[in-house]
Amino acid sequence: MALTMELRSNGEAGRTATGKISIIMFSGTADKFIPLGVITQAATAMGMEVNVFVTGFALQGFVKQPRELPFPVEFTSMAPALMQGMKAAHVQPWDAMLRQAKELGAKVYACSMMADVMGLKTGDFGDLVDDVVGAATFLQAAEGGQTLFI
Amino acid sequence: MPDAVTGRTIVDSCGSSCPGPITDLALAYRRAKVGDVIELWATDPGVKADVQAWAAKTRNEVESIEDQPGKIVTVIRILRR
Repeated sequence: MALTMELRSNGEAGRTATGKISIIMFSGTADKFIPLGVITQAATAMGMEVNVFVTGFALQGFVKQPRELPFPVEFTSMAPALMQGMKAAHVQPWDAMLRQAKELGAKVYACSMMADVMGLKTGDFGDLVDDVVGAATFLQAAEGGQTLFI
Repeated sequence: MPDAVTGRTIVDSCGSSCPGPITDLALAYRRAKVGDVIELWATDPGVKADVQAWAAKTRNEVESIEDQPGKIVTVIRILRR
């Protein structure tokens, strides 16, 4: 393992200089937004292209002045300790991480259909959202890369 | 900015948790030139594996990873932009 990593670190195995990761952000609970922030920021730091397609309940985290995101019911008792631990470890809030990722090139798209279902107009979204698009646009942007569903 | 004496750019990410150090490295990399040496200081133990993954991905070189009192010091040589 150590040897493999050593060999890789000299760049010989790094044939894919860039790469691409696309994330379908569906969940609307606070816990799921943490990996969104971490993965987008880490991937852009690695020089990867990053696309986020926000749909379903996750859209509520992207409106102007969003309400505080809830934790899943089964984890509510753990939430205060988790938030305290994150503060102690200086973990950035998810939106700060995503904002950093966007400064490094990440793109965020809101799903036009779910936005319509929820009565959200383009102007209702905060500045993290680059555009409101349909599924076909996202699928085309995601083609040829890895896709995660959160 | 590279240090006038060592020629190295020091990036201090001590206290920052993952993916903070690797992001600070990426931001320094944006300003770096081929041949530059970046010295990344961090306290997050994940940095040891992460700088190697970053170097493999961006095709740069990790010269050393060292545990120093209170911090992990990683030296990265920029081979490509």
